[in-house]
Amino acid sequence: MEQPYIHILDPYPQQAPEQNRLHPFYDFVREGKLTTTRCKKCGTLPWPPRVVCPQCMSDELEWAEMPREGTIYTFTAQEAGLPPGYALPTIFALIDLPNGVRLLSVIEESELSEIKSGATVEFIVKHVPNDRVMPAFRIKR
Amino acid sequence: MRRVAVVAAGMTRFGVRQATYRDLIQEAGKAAFDSNKNILPKDIDSFILSSVFPERSVFQSHLACLAAESVGVRPHKFFGRVENMCGSGIVGIRTAYAAIVAGLSDLVMVMGAEKMNIPAPEEAVLNMMTGLDREWEGAYGLTAPPMFALAAQAHALKYGTTEEQLSRVSVKNHGHSKNNPFAQFQKGTSMEQVMCSKMIASPLRLFHCSSMSDGAAAVILASEERAKELTDKPIFIIGTGQAAHGYAVANFYRDMSHWPALKEAANDAYAMAGIGPDDIDFAEVHDCFSIAEIIAYEELGFCEKGEGGRFVEQGLSDYGGKVVVNPRGGLIGCGHPLGATGVAHAGEVFLQMRGEAGPRQVPGAKIALSHTNSGPGEHHILIYQKGF
Repeated sequence: MEQPYIHILDPYPQQAPEQNRLHPFYDFVREGKLTTTRCKKCGTLPWPPRVVCPQCMSDELEWAEMPREGTIYTFTAQEAGLPPGYALPTIFALIDLPNGVRLLSVIEESELSEIKSGATVEFIVKHVPNDRVMPAFRIKR
Repeated sequence: MRRVAVVAAGMTRFGVRQATYRDLIQEAGKAAFDSNKNILPKDIDSFILSSVFPERSVFQSHLACLAAESVGVRPHKFFGRVENMCGSGIVGIRTAYAAIVAGLSDLVMVMGAEKMNIPAPEEAVLNMMTGLDREWEGAYGLTAPPMFALAAQAHALKYGTTEEQLSRVSVKNHGHSKNNPFAQFQKGTSMEQVMCSKMIASPLRLFHCSSMSDGAAAVILASEERAKELTDKPIFIIGTGQAAHGYAVANFYRDMSHWPALKEAANDAYAMAGIGPDDIDFAEVHDCFSIAEIIAYEELGFCEKGEGGRFVEQGLSDYGGKVVVNPRGGLIGCGHPLGATGVAHAGEVFLQMRGEAGPRQVPGAKIALSHTNSGPGEHHILIYQKGF
């Protein structure tokens, strides 16, 4: 092919105020806080955060900080077939927080032998391209 | 309520095909029209295309009429494209079914088509990521294999399901696709080959996974009245169901080894058909990964909850067992061109009910169930009955 084959997909969420009403979530992540939205009317605490409460349709929501530690429900180490730009292996896990919220995230900065169902993990900040961030976890130190 | 019949069906070979998206659509269209010489493209009044990401894989949107024009159809009653990730094929058939029941259409072609293998293979993997919750989960690089691996781990932890049992599903389905000239894989496999294959996402190895495949499949559905004019071998849709429990993987189920959305969809379909799991002669089940077939046995009621691993180990999902599951070879044996899969299920039903399935014929097949998922949280069911 004479021209370069163009393939691009920016996989990370837009995080600036101009692009995303939920930008405070990412600002909190930068400060080391894991949050979601709580409905001021009915108290619903959904994951992921919203701009409208999925229970009562109120748009009066507030940011609520969530626990920094949780336990691994199940996990998997992906060793092949990740999209380009992702590290091998990537450890995906479903993580249960004590407030009842479950997250899908990645486990980093940990020995594979320590990663087990039921293990305690703690929230860390994952830096991704273009000065953006995602929540991630590591085995509790 | 108006009854709806399958009156024609055909498909392309699945695999890494030296063919464009449109080539595949034309091949499947011809195969469907060839299966019933009483129907010509000009007779079709409505057209549904099931296709997942041609916007990325062939850089084309606005697809239903592209596909219709490619097979000489000028839809003038009801048409459009359906996208619902891996379950798109059944969702397309359900949409066409509803149109006929509602009286909006009498003769619909449902085309499922996908071109997944493209010059940059890594882009094909990127494309699969678009089907996940990209902002909150997909952005981590999540695609289908780790999502199903999380369920496999949950099932192993709770019920002791073994890697050997997962592998039995792959050996069975590769064994079936050996007898299917339209399958991507026609060589069969062994337990050793499956269990020594490359680890993809623990505990799922390469041979526990279906492949990214190019392919298309088409069926023609008719109102009962119209069907009488077109064939003396109609196959009726007698039940259908659908349920979704969440979009983010984190929100599907607290217990990932139970898939209540599948049970709910199946029970609705059984109730509508007035039958139960024991009445099913064969089932086309969404084995995108071997764990998905094991959990499907349980939620479809073919065995008790937690017994799925033993069910396949004892040969109960194979010829001579309780219910033949995936006689076509499943997604593991045939490949999984996303939008085409559920429509290819209907193609298998068409051949089996007519006794034209050759060496993979299920003796005396009269009632069949077709199941696809769009991830562990979303399920789609059709039940077909031989009408002759």
